Amino acid sequence: MSDYPQANELQAEASKRRQAIEIGVLALLVVAFFIVSLLRQNPFDKDADPAKAIGLIVAAGLTFIMFSFLYRDNPLFKAAEHLYVGVSLGYAAVISCREFLYPLVYQPLFAAPTAAAFKSSLLHLAVPVALGILLLGRISRKHGWVSRYAYAILIGWGAGVAIPLVTNSYILQQLTAAIKPLQEALGPKAPAHPFSPENFVGSCLAILGALVAMIGTVAVLFYFFFSVEHKKVGSAVSKLGIWFLMVSFGASFGFTVMGRLSLLIGRVNFLLGEWLNIQNK
Amino acid sequence: MRTNQNRPQHYELIRRIIYVGIALAVILSYFIDYRQKFTPSPESKKVFDKVESLSPGDHLLISIDYDPSSEAELYPMSLSLLRHCFKNGVIPVVMTPWPSSVGIAKKGCDEAAEDANSMFGKKVVSGKDYAFLGFRPGTQNLILKMGDNLKGAFDKDYYGQPTQGMKALEGVNSLKDIKLLVDLAAMGTVEWWIAYGADRADIPMATGTTAVMTPDLYPFYQSNQLIGFLGGLRGAADYEKLLEIPGRGERGMLAQSATHVLIILLILGANIRMFAGRFGRKNEGLS
Repeated sequence: MSDYPQANELQAEASKRRQAIEIGVLALLVVAFFIVSLLRQNPFDKDADPAKAIGLIVAAGLTFIMFSFLYRDNPLFKAAEHLYVGVSLGYAAVISCREFLYPLVYQPLFAAPTAAAFKSSLLHLAVPVALGILLLGRISRKHGWVSRYAYAILIGWGAGVAIPLVTNSYILQQLTAAIKPLQEALGPKAPAHPFSPENFVGSCLAILGALVAMIGTVAVLFYFFFSVEHKKVGSAVSKLGIWFLMVSFGASFGFTVMGRLSLLIGRVNFLLGEWLNIQNK
Repeated sequence: MRTNQNRPQHYELIRRIIYVGIALAVILSYFIDYRQKFTPSPESKKVFDKVESLSPGDHLLISIDYDPSSEAELYPMSLSLLRHCFKNGVIPVVMTPWPSSVGIAKKGCDEAAEDANSMFGKKVVSGKDYAFLGFRPGTQNLILKMGDNLKGAFDKDYYGQPTQGMKALEGVNSLKDIKLLVDLAAMGTVEWWIAYGADRADIPMATGTTAVMTPDLYPFYQSNQLIGFLGGLRGAADYEKLLEIPGRGERGMLAQSATHVLIILLILGANIRMFAGRFGRKNEGLS
């Protein structure tokens, strides 16, 4: 780089110029934002609800700041990102205290109406509260080990409860369903005359769908079966498995795009409908 | 001549043009007064038909498992489901296992209750026509507890009213007494509700999820562990159309289609450009 001092100077100058233009444009945008906000959501208007108007302006401003990332990462985006995380956590903490810790832990233990009620609460809450306090041991490096008792109970109990239920719901029922389409297409639930003119198309599609599902399941499972070398027929089945996987990833990607666009639509509807107060029909 | 050095800047420009194009497609769609025609999917129709088949006084449990970041897709579903319940006299029991979902769950209940008054002329009251149980922590443990003793899991509703003796929860002791369980989720709770809730209590279950989560639901739909599902904004639009009460979902369909067409055109354009470039380079090499 030191071989081209003039080029470096020119580059630095261009960068400074660009930065100045960007700051200028940003200042103009901020001014425009506040002017538009005051025109459409004036909190000082005598008919306006000031809290709602300010809330809408802040929400619109934060939306624009989040979208500024599409141009480039910037300090405003970083600040809004941290604000989002902080507000989410703060809100969750307050709700947890208000909805759960205060009425279900504090009140029964520290505001019990009678001694008998206190004893009953203590009996029910002592162990869970003690385990909860042990979990907080993670905060300290020195005393972090105390949390292991609570985690051991959590994991042991969780696994004990989860294994039978999960085995039934995610494995056994799914296995049954993997066989079922063919059974439904050809078995007792199929129409009495599956190839009569009125049932022909439906039956053919059901059988085709069942075959595709069956072949797809077998091919994908075989792709992940590494105990035999994928040669000749095995290689063909494995490649078919890759095709099915690709189709599945494509469908997932399509849904993801749809989901992200829905979020954009939601934000645009907010900006136009609520912030700018432009009602569509 | 284009060099490798100025390529990134060139791509950066294209990237920004694409963003502007998509933003314009969404913004312009907002101003166009046109309701897009579409046929509700069979998955959505099954959810609607199930709710429609419930008798007045039956209980439908709605678990709000999303926070404001997924409001665009899932809030219209909540509203439509609650409106449908109020319209038919079905009693919705609304709860959430997430602290960040309490506000949006309450907003949905309040808005649907107001709509019941303005749309169907019914004055619905919390504790009598619906129950808003609020938040309890524990997720899987909470679902298990609800499977044994729902009023034990929620001894008071969001407003501090005891659930014992609550008119809206008459005849409901556990999940087994719920006629339909609906999980509106943006988080991975659908599978928990299936395993710990619906399968264990042997009750029908449906879901409404963000589009991103939708492909994962098909195996459960195929195995009848889900009677149906609403997938993303399209699912919300389906339900609104079936209920014949247009809302944000249906309104978003035009923007959704416009952006999809734009993306397809961009994919086609980029591929044609790539193949044309390859073909050109090949010819240059041959000559």
